[in-house]
Amino acid sequence: MLIAQEFVRPIIDWHGVAPELTLLAIGAMVTLVDIIWNEKAQRIIPTLTGLGFLAALLPVLTLWSDRDELPRVMWDGAYVVDEYSLVLKGLFLVSAYVVVLLATNYMHDGDYYEGEFYQLVSASVVGMLVMTSARDLISIFVAIELISIPAYLMAAWRKRDLKSNEAGLKYMLMGVFASALMLYGMSLLYGFAGDTRLAAIAPALRSSESIPLITLAVVFVVVGFGFKVSAVPFHTWAPDTYEGAPTPLTAFLAVASKAAGFVALMSVVIVAFPEQSGVAEPLLWVLAAVTMTVGNLIAMRQTNIVRMLAYSGIAQAGYMIAPLAVFGDVPSSAARAIVIYLVIYAAMNLGAFAVVITAARKTRSGEISSYGGLFQYAPGLAVLMTLFLFSLAGIPPFGGWYAKYQVFLVLVEPATTAGYVLAAIGAVNAVLAAFYYLSIMKQMWFMPEPNGDHTRVQITPSLQAALAITAIVTLVTGVLPGVIPDVGDLVVALP
Amino acid sequence: MEVTETWYLLLSALLFALGATGLLIRRNPLVMFMCVELMLNAVNISFVAFSNALDDLSGQTAVFFVLVVAAAEVVVGLSLTVAVLRRRPEATADDIASLRG
Amino acid sequence: MYSDFLRDYLIVVFFGILAFAVVGAFIGLASLVRPDRPSEAKNTAYESGVDPVDGGWSQSQIRYYIFALLFVMFDVEAVFIFPWATRLEEYGMFGLVEMTIFIFILALGLGYAWRKGVLRWV
Repeated sequence: MLIAQEFVRPIIDWHGVAPELTLLAIGAMVTLVDIIWNEKAQRIIPTLTGLGFLAALLPVLTLWSDRDELPRVMWDGAYVVDEYSLVLKGLFLVSAYVVVLLATNYMHDGDYYEGEFYQLVSASVVGMLVMTSARDLISIFVAIELISIPAYLMAAWRKRDLKSNEAGLKYMLMGVFASALMLYGMSLLYGFAGDTRLAAIAPALRSSESIPLITLAVVFVVVGFGFKVSAVPFHTWAPDTYEGAPTPLTAFLAVASKAAGFVALMSVVIVAFPEQSGVAEPLLWVLAAVTMTVGNLIAMRQTNIVRMLAYSGIAQAGYMIAPLAVFGDVPSSAARAIVIYLVIYAAMNLGAFAVVITAARKTRSGEISSYGGLFQYAPGLAVLMTLFLFSLAGIPPFGGWYAKYQVFLVLVEPATTAGYVLAAIGAVNAVLAAFYYLSIMKQMWFMPEPNGDHTRVQITPSLQAALAITAIVTLVTGVLPGVIPDVGDLVVALP
Repeated sequence: MEVTETWYLLLSALLFALGATGLLIRRNPLVMFMCVELMLNAVNISFVAFSNALDDLSGQTAVFFVLVVAAAEVVVGLSLTVAVLRRRPEATADDIASLRG
Repeated sequence: MYSDFLRDYLIVVFFGILAFAVVGAFIGLASLVRPDRPSEAKNTAYESGVDPVDGGWSQSQIRYYIFALLFVMFDVEAVFIFPWATRLEEYGMFGLVEMTIFIFILALGLGYAWRKGVLRWV
């Protein structure tokens, strides 16, 4: 029989949870503004939400400047604020800000619900902030659902478009299935460890008894996250959802939501499974190899740029899983490489989507063929797109090459055959990927405008800001890779 | 025969497997939701069984969160289903294929 | 080492086989046992011996549906209030503030539904 214990008021480090609380307050405020002024407030809500994300960035910066105090461990080790989580919090807040910039005109010009969209984005980002610090199965689960559920709704945002409805329904069914798999694995882990904290699970998995069931738990958890990060063969929802959803939301899904899945995967695998690396590593190895290869092969055949970016995103996810295939030997450098990849991937992919959204304001089309003649009527846009595509292909001196370079360094670090082979597969894939990125460039630079329409593309101030931020980050990370802060070790803290 | 934790875990594994297979073979969005609920409740049974066996409360706490999240998921899912069915009455998951992956 | 490793994965295979076997067995068993003699009369709905008129499917009002969804949401959220209520005095001021915040956020949702006219019975 469980006996009720004396209630001890938990000690809350208010500074440590300030980013989440700020964003929560802003989200509540946006909802209140929407309730009070209804239609009249629709114009100011995007600005308000954007400022909210920047406001939540302030406590992240003060926490970073106060680094000696790190790690801040709360709730018996279930919630940890360390360098790793701070860097990722910064990444999520800035990406979300860029997504708001992308969405501002798109949502206003189309006949969409505006206020609700931004409320849901804020809710999703709160989930991401929690995810970076969560070191406990229950908080990871709640965080991942807080991220996903608003995303299901936003994917179906173009309410009168059947494609968008389908996008939402498919994403939702696959997402829920993945959550259930992940949860079942989590319940087994809890059963073995008798604890939901990741740091307490790790030593419990050392014992040799009931190994088959532990394997089952590890497989379920990894497969569950595999859906969330759209790893092949669990990727089928991604292209459909990306094409059907409103494009700014696609950018959000492809960058922030995917990154959040990686954060969860990283935290769980690196903190909780070091004793089971023999089980997790081969599984992740196969996932990484298949994901990059299949993603690239299908991306080559796409004619719609959003679908192409979706498949290219799947291939990029393969590179991000790759370091985890050798995490047992080099856990810290694997985490570091993935975080660097996530930061650079966020910048270049958001940039590519920003160009797609801007160009679609004129062409009203997502077909790659509609990019013909872009250089003649919008040279600036064509140059920026070239920059992002070069970066995605991993050509120096743009950010993408450094991200890939880090992944390769980690793969060869433990000097195992598995690592070398995966690195070789990665290298072949980088060449494959260059083909389809270059085909878009060919369209932009050398092909004529399909309709002979040479009016200029009108770039709104918010899109200009989004393009500027992403381009600067993509360039700077490539030229001066040292600017990405070091994430240190993943803290394994139990008080 | 005494009912031990093993039986509860078996029940949970069976329900989970039923739910998962159902989700994969059934094509009606509503039935697919029911299968998801079945899977989530199987997880709940296993959490409670472990919680009881380990004499630890965190398993029961997990059930609270799973329940609430499942409710949120169903509300969102049903609204999406209604949105689709309004456009395409009597659609099954196979018909919902104007986007092909 | 690899054989150990493969043996670990064997359980995953067994689990998959079990999943298919159970469902297959249920469906298979049912089809063996049940008689299969379809006739028109059997397919009509049983309405206390009265011949049915029109189809068996009728649409219910969509407005019930929206209320039901709202109800499910708020009803289930209330589950967090019960454990809090059992230890009310012990939690003191801290618990009161926490619960106020929780209910405030729930109330925001209700306020939103009210403002957007979802609660109006049209």
